[in-house]
This record gives sequence, structure tokens and C-alpha cells, in this order.
Amino acid sequence: MRRLGDFLLAALAGLCALVSVGILVGLVFVVAQRGAPALSWSFFTEQIRLVGAAGGIFWNLVGTMILLASACLICGPMAIGLALVECVWLRGDRSRRALRTVLYTLNGLPSILFGLFGFIVFVQWLDWGKSWLIGGIVLALGMLPTVSVALIERLKAIPASYVEAAAALGLSRAQIVWAVLLPQAWGGLITGSLLGLARAAGETAPIMFTCTIFAGATWPRGIVESPVLTLPYHIFILAQDSFDPAVGAKLWGAALVLLGLVFFLSLIALPSRLKMHEEANA
Amino acid sequence: MTRAWSWFFSLVAIGTLALLVGIFVWQSLPVWRHEGWGYLTGTKWFFRQQEFGAWPMIYGSIVVSGVALVLAAPFGMGAAIFTAEYLPRAPRLAVKVLIELLAGVPSVVYGLLGILLLRNWIYDLFAPFDPLSGDTLLTAGVLLAVMILPTVVTLGDDALRAVPAAQRRAARALGLTRAETILHVALPQARRGLGAALLLALGRAFGETIAVFLVVGRQDNNLPERLLSLRPLLESGQTLTSKLGGSETNISYGDPLHWAAIVGLGLILLVLTGALTVIGTAFGRRSDA
Repeated sequence: MRRLGDFLLAALAGLCALVSVGILVGLVFVVAQRGAPALSWSFFTEQIRLVGAAGGIFWNLVGTMILLASACLICGPMAIGLALVECVWLRGDRSRRALRTVLYTLNGLPSILFGLFGFIVFVQWLDWGKSWLIGGIVLALGMLPTVSVALIERLKAIPASYVEAAAALGLSRAQIVWAVLLPQAWGGLITGSLLGLARAAGETAPIMFTCTIFAGATWPRGIVESPVLTLPYHIFILAQDSFDPAVGAKLWGAALVLLGLVFFLSLIALPSRLKMHEEANA
Repeated sequence: MTRAWSWFFSLVAIGTLALLVGIFVWQSLPVWRHEGWGYLTGTKWFFRQQEFGAWPMIYGSIVVSGVALVLAAPFGMGAAIFTAEYLPRAPRLAVKVLIELLAGVPSVVYGLLGILLLRNWIYDLFAPFDPLSGDTLLTAGVLLAVMILPTVVTLGDDALRAVPAAQRRAARALGLTRAETILHVALPQARRGLGAALLLALGRAFGETIAVFLVVGRQDNNLPERLLSLRPLLESGQTLTSKLGGSETNISYGDPLHWAAIVGLGLILLVLTGALTVIGTAFGRRSDA
């Protein structure tokens, strides 16, 4: 009887794991299978024609890259500032915990709220119209907790003896930050940014009111009224109102490219995350 | 200098967050003045008649996230038990990496799968019950269940791994089988962490916009006629997020009251998801204390 129970739980848990992994892998497989026929060199180098039925996604890729680059640049200083404040400048556990709670809460906020925020402040109050820079700002807000927390974890993992040695040599705290902490924690910033970017790359909700349009944009000229095309919004619009098979094929192609981009970003972050994991378990 | 800059950028970040919360409160004030608490409980949303009741959207969000959690929790917990308790180190890491990779699939891709595949399956599968279309609360719930599954698995796995191995060894040494060890030792000790995993997953479900938007049907003012029936799951509905993601957000800006009503939905969402995250994190943290 007890043997049977033992076996049953193992079988049940195994089945759940199999179903979970199976569903998720299956879904990637479906996208890959349907999207692959659309991929060709010209798909990456041409612009959209005939409302998505022909041509490629060149400007969508460019726009997504512009957004990711600006999000990364905006997020970087804030994440470094927050991490240093948490690990170096704040005294007292209570205020540190408060700061971390703020970061976790920020992480849990739905991205549509950042989109509405950007819409209110920049599109309406500052009258920028749709602009790539607003997209960069709202995406930066979305990835900020991921990057800061990754950096904080890496800073905490630095052996205390390093900091003590530097202090014994007479370095001030600011000097310790530049000479010891930041060089040692650099990897955390990169890993966190890659993970944050992987999430930001696929976001649609925060950018649809603030920075992206469906067709007719190329390189942004200036900031005001300079929207970009993006991959997620392209998929979002075409998914809603296209029953044309030619569009369908291109649509799956675009989805596969987006999925590839997201996986690529998280996979290059993987080795250093695994290393962190090993160290944490050692 | 370093210190000043650290504080400067931190304060910019925290100030932005405070501004965000402040804007949602302030911009939604007119609707609270107009409707009072009736804004939360009102069942009719007709903006041309200046009637703003958010209850159908709150109901939609609760139903959709509830369905997602009910479907994802058993499978996710089972999978977490399997990875944490049965798998050796290397395969466990591999499965975890895979699951976390899949957690990153963009919601618009889920939406695409939902709109092109899932809603047809749901329509065919439930044909005997005559759904009007495949765009139903159930469709959105099933899609969300798949989306939050990785969160449940990976956080559940972390919670179980946080239970010290010595506890398991002691239980086994007392003659408990592996299953008994898991059910009577590991799970009870990890229950806070597991609860936190479910709460955080629920928070994600509440806030998910794009995938839900594409498959939920976006029908206003749809509430069930009878309670305790599963039939309403096969009807279209509207969630807080699908309303916010819709075109009404763009057209409402000109009218302060209408705009306040839209921003108010954002405020409800902000409070709900914020509370879930804070409770979930606080709940989970005490487990390893």
C-alpha cells in the first residue's frame, strides 16, 4: 500500500512535469513550424507592403532595436544607482528592505500601467506625440527591477574580504565602489540587462499608446512625433484583423523572429546565471 | 560624487514610481466624485450616458485569473514537486532553464496562438453548449494558465528546494517513504513559499493585457445571470486590462470624466496587483526565516 502510494505520487508529479514542459515546448514548436516557411533573406531586409501581405519586417526590427537600446541606456544608470544605494549607502536593514519591497512591487506591476503613465505624461502633457524615446523610458521602467535585483545579488556575493582589504588600504567608500564593487559586479549588470531586454523586447502593452505605429515610419527624426515600427505591435495588429492567408504566413514568420530574439537574449545571459547558481549552491 | 549620483538616479527612479501612483490617483478623482463607491460595484458602463460601473471588468479579471490559477496550480505544483524532489541536479537545472526560457515567450505570441488556434479548439470542444464564438472568458483563462505555468513551476521549485535536505534525510531515516516525506515533511514546510508562488502567479495573470485582449471577446457589461453555473465561462467578457488596452483609452482623453473612469480602472489594477505582490513577497520571505 505504501509502495503504491510512493509510486503514484512519483508518477503523478512526473506526469504534471511532462504535461507542463510538453505544452510549452509544443507551443514553441508550433510557432517554429508555421513561421519557418516565411523566413528568407528578403524578409529581414524589405519593408512591409500590402498591409503585411508582402515584403518583410526590416523597419520593425530596426524600431525594436532602437527601443531596446534606449531602454537599456535609460535603465542602466538608475539600476546602478539603486543597487549602490541598497548595498553601500543605505544604513539600516529596515530602509533596505523597504527599497527591495519597492523593487519587487515595481516588478509585479502590469506593463499596461507603464504605458498609460507614458501616455499621460509624455504624449498628453509634454505633447510629444508618439515617440521612440517614450517607448525607451517606459520599457526602462519595466526592466528596472530585474536589472537592479540582479546587480544587488551580484554585489552581495562579493566576498567581504575584498571590501575589507580595500578599506584597509585606505580607499574611501566611493573609491571602493569604483575599484572593487563595480568591476566585480559588472556581470550582474549585463545578465540583468539581458534578461530585462528579453522581457522588454516582447512587450506590446506599454508601447502601443506611446511610441509605435503599424506602418509608415523609418528612422526617427528627432524626438517629438517620431514613432517607430516594432515587431510586437506588428504581430498584435495583424493578429486582430487578418484572415488573408498571405498575411497569416508572414505573421507567423514575424512571431518566430520575435521569439528567436527573446530566446537569444535570454540564452546569452544563461552561462553567467548558471555560474551564479553554482556559486550559490557551493 | 559617486554617492550623490547614486542617490540622484535612485531618487529619479523612485520619484517616477511615486509620480505614477500619484497620477493614477489624481487623474481618476473625477470618477470617484461622480460615482462614489458605486464605481466599483456599478454594473453598467455606458460612457455616452456618463455611467461608469467597473464591476463587469473586475468580475472578468477575477474569473479569467481564477480559471488560470485553478488550471495552472495543480500541474505547476506537480511539476515543481517532480523537479525539486525527484530529479537529480543536472536534469533539474536543465528543466528549470527550459521553463524559465519559456516564461519569456512574449504575450503577443501567446495571443497569436490563442487567436489562431486555441479559440477554435474551445469553440469546437464546447460546441454542445452553443457558445456564440470562441472568444470567451474560458479561452482567456486557459491561455493565461499556460502563461503563468512557468512562474508557478519555477517559484514552486525554489520554495521546495529551500526546505533543508536534512529534514528529508531525517524523515527517510524514520522509515517514511519518499512520497510520505514529500507530503508530510517537504510540502508543509514549503507551504508559505508555495503560497507565495501562487499569489505572484495570480498577480501576473491579473496584469496580463495583450493575450487576454486578443481572445476575451471584449464585450462590455456582461455579467452572469445565474451564479454557480459554468455556462458564463463560455461567454465573452471584458477584463480591466482588455478595457485599458482598447481604443476607448485613446478616445476618452478629451472628456475628463470618461478619462477619469479609464484611469480609475488602471488604479484598481494597480492596487490589486500591488497588493498581491506585496502580500506574496512578505508571505514567501517568512518561510525561510
